[in-house]
Amino acid sequence: MSKNKEESVKKLFTAQSASVDTNLGDSYYTELYAKCQKRLDELKQLKPLNNRMDFLESIEEEGLDRRDFLKWASATTAMLMLPAAFTPLVAEAAVLMNRVPVIWMELQDCAGNSEALLRSDGPQIDEIILDIISLEFHETLQAASGHQAEKQMDEAMEHFHGKYLLFVEGAVPLGMDGQYGTIGAKAETFVDHLKRGAEGAAAVVAVGSCATYGGIPAAAPNPTDAVGVMDIVKGKPLINIPACPANPSNMVGVILHFVLTGSIPELDSLLRPKFAFGYRIHDNCERRAHFDAGEYVEEWGDEGAKNNFCLYKMGCKGPMTFNNCSIVRYNEGVNWPIGVGRGCIGCSEPDFWDKYAYERPMANANIKAPTGGVEKSVDEFGLGLLTAAGIGIGIHAAASYVAGKKEERGES
Amino acid sequence: MSNNEGYKQVKRMTPAMRIIHWVNVLSMIVAVITGLYIAEPYYQTLIAEGAVDKYVMAWNRWGHFMVAIIFDVTSIIVAYLYFFSRFEKSYKKVLPTGANIKEFFEVLLNLVTLNRRKKFDSTHSDSFNTVYFTIFHLLLAWMLLTGLQLYVHGLGSGESSIGAWWPWMLHLVTDWTVPASHAILGGAKATIMDVRIVHHYTMWFILTWVVFHIYYQVWRTIFWKEGDIAIVVGGSKFVKESN
Repeated sequence: MSKNKEESVKKLFTAQSASVDTNLGDSYYTELYAKCQKRLDELKQLKPLNNRMDFLESIEEEGLDRRDFLKWASATTAMLMLPAAFTPLVAEAAVLMNRVPVIWMELQDCAGNSEALLRSDGPQIDEIILDIISLEFHETLQAASGHQAEKQMDEAMEHFHGKYLLFVEGAVPLGMDGQYGTIGAKAETFVDHLKRGAEGAAAVVAVGSCATYGGIPAAAPNPTDAVGVMDIVKGKPLINIPACPANPSNMVGVILHFVLTGSIPELDSLLRPKFAFGYRIHDNCERRAHFDAGEYVEEWGDEGAKNNFCLYKMGCKGPMTFNNCSIVRYNEGVNWPIGVGRGCIGCSEPDFWDKYAYERPMANANIKAPTGGVEKSVDEFGLGLLTAAGIGIGIHAAASYVAGKKEERGES
Repeated sequence: MSNNEGYKQVKRMTPAMRIIHWVNVLSMIVAVITGLYIAEPYYQTLIAEGAVDKYVMAWNRWGHFMVAIIFDVTSIIVAYLYFFSRFEKSYKKVLPTGANIKEFFEVLLNLVTLNRRKKFDSTHSDSFNTVYFTIFHLLLAWMLLTGLQLYVHGLGSGESSIGAWWPWMLHLVTDWTVPASHAILGGAKATIMDVRIVHHYTMWFILTWVVFHIYYQVWRTIFWKEGDIAIVVGGSKFVKESN
């Protein structure tokens, strides 16, 4: 990254950490309501793209009734930090989701975020919505391959230029001119692929920790020089939805917000939507009382573990991690990491693999050799010691020489 | 005491300075004991009691934050006295003037030659000591700013018992420590964990500072034979008249 000094100093003193304003005042919401209504009316005029399924039919096919849908709509309204009066609008927006084109791009990653929303046991409303969004291109899911797939992407980008949402999953390798990751018949590097996709996007959504900060590919020693989308894409509305994997509820929340308002939700300093990442896990943790009481699991399966004690000493990073998974949980509220009895690894925070996920309290973290690696330490230590010895010998020799001269001259 | 002939008493610390010193000592002991517990709870609570009857981590955090606030206040007073004290304005001793630089190295030479060379006036606080004192207060200020940054994340609602201005102000004053800590540690992006790691490291720097501080004050007392160790209790020491 080439950043000049002035910029980095300015950045340093204007940095902000997370703080959430949940109530923006009546006049703001009245205005927003009118804006959303207008936007939904406009969207209703549009035809669903590519003969997509009808949403209300889809949820019926999955055995859910309208009541479930409305319950979901009010929960989602709350999650998006909107007043309850917005519930009908949110429900309407969900039905209109198939009017917004989405291109999904997969870079250096494990496809875990796609898996997270596809592999659920029984599809819930969040997943159904992601099924029916107008997904114009998704490398992992589509039937097309090779030249066909590329053609499809080119067409989608051209046809929906300036309108589509670009979802990106995975980090961007920059090492070796980006050739650690290439895609398609023309061997386009990931970084070029991303730039091309982002160029015509209405907004870019980085899904998962790899796309957000580089994630696991960027963990020390970061052999491929992986970075997140926000280091590459500039001058576009960009939303980060980190976590490993990103919670489908938050993905839907962001799309819904976009459908509803035509704009991106309020973001924190790391460009994460505040409705999802304005909460500290610790503050909504069901084991918090055990933390304050000083009751900790000391080792896996001990008496404390059986009593659901706090996992802090097992390396839980809930006190430093911002995410709403302690509230919305995963898989439609079934469970979450702390609930299954293991600590939080801080997967929604930058550098989580190096700085959060070492499974012991920070004071005891020694995943890396203290000085950066075994061989590296030994080599540098050896070179340093040899240099010191050399300098010492030099000084001693010089001093002896001077002393010898003095002696010759008869001085003491 | 006839032995006192030839010695004059010099005042070195005012009562306010001495009180601040001992308040800081006690605060630091509490901060380290509770801070180490917060970093890694090193003793266990009795398992048979219900969580409702114990509040061990919470008490540790309470103690840690209380002494932190006391530290904040003494630091503000020290910062004020540093520039405006009527007794001794410390900043005058750290300005890089010729006299100060010379004194600094003379005192350093005095230490490394084990008192075989002593060519400076030891009746007042010397440049070396003042620089050392300044380093401590910079470390402490860094500790307080990073600590308050970590603290404000517990006030996620943006409210506190004394109003919303308090977390707002803490964010305003300490948010820059996140990118600053990241600049020290490196990594892809600045994160709150950088602050926590740096906060922990700084404790060790301060403890190292304390070790040398105590050693050096005792060493001065033994080698200079001017009763330096008494300064922090009685406020004065004794210097040979002929000096």
